[in-house]
Amino acid sequence: MNESLPTPELQVSKPWYRKELVIFVGGSIVIAFLLVVASMAMYTSSGDSLLDASRPGFKSIQKEVDQSDTFEAFSTDGPVDASTIDQFQQLYAKQVKSVSNSNVFDNSALSDQALGIDDPSVTTVQNQ
Amino acid sequence: MKFRLKRTLTLALMAAVFAGAPVFAQAASTMTDAHIARIKANCQTALATLSQIHTNDSPIYINRNQMYFSISDKLMARLNSRLTLNRYDATQLVKTASDYNAALTDFRTAYKNYDNSMTTALGIDCTKQPVGFYDAVIDVRTAREQVRTSSDKLSSLIAQYQQQVQQFKDQHFSSQTNEAKS
Repeated sequence: MNESLPTPELQVSKPWYRKELVIFVGGSIVIAFLLVVASMAMYTSSGDSLLDASRPGFKSIQKEVDQSDTFEAFSTDGPVDASTIDQFQQLYAKQVKSVSNSNVFDNSALSDQALGIDDPSVTTVQNQ
Repeated sequence: MKFRLKRTLTLALMAAVFAGAPVFAQAASTMTDAHIARIKANCQTALATLSQIHTNDSPIYINRNQMYFSISDKLMARLNSRLTLNRYDATQLVKTASDYNAALTDFRTAYKNYDNSMTTALGIDCTKQPVGFYDAVIDVRTAREQVRTSSDKLSSLIAQYQQQVQQFKDQHFSSQTNEAKS
């Protein structure tokens, strides 16, 4: 009766975290990085970055941005009669007054003379 | 084989150079040496002025965009909804509000293009590339003009909506108005 008994394999205690932890931490960093890149791309491409007054170099204009929401809304409920329309017209006229100035974004500020990059020969001829 | 590859690459490079040349040649052909010298001399002043305009435009855009949006969201859409709920025909008003929203999208796109062209111009060293800088300034002007056009379109649609509300009132409540007056 000389049966060969299975010899127990030698179990080497390997630290459980070695491989898994590296994959987990590395994977988290890669995923976080990709999400940041994607969100920054969306932030820039959507034009939302242009509405952000906290951008570097734009902090000085923060006080010029109207942050109070005082725009009075018209009610969607209720009947409609002449007085309702009158009420709307008064509200509308009051609110659109602030955007009635059409001189904004005109090109005079970007003229060659304003920037000091005009052609001196043309300026001299015009002065003569 | 190697020679053929080199020749192809050289030809491709030359083609690319000549294809890009007219872009700069256009402005360069109309610019005098004195003009180029002036741009180089006033480079820092021009860049500082552009940067100031860029910074000043930002709050104007933010405030305008907010106001334009509120006019649509808190006034036009709400009146249209109220009229429809009360079974009035508000087709014309709805169409104007829809055109207004499309114009608001155009305004945002135009400003984005303007901001991009301004950033490009501000990134050019005009002491080294005066012609390229001048071209970039022309692009900025064109883009700014586009912003102004879209802003004017919004203003005209605001006025149009106001007129249509008056027409709606005259059409449906003229008797009530007359009674109230008498």
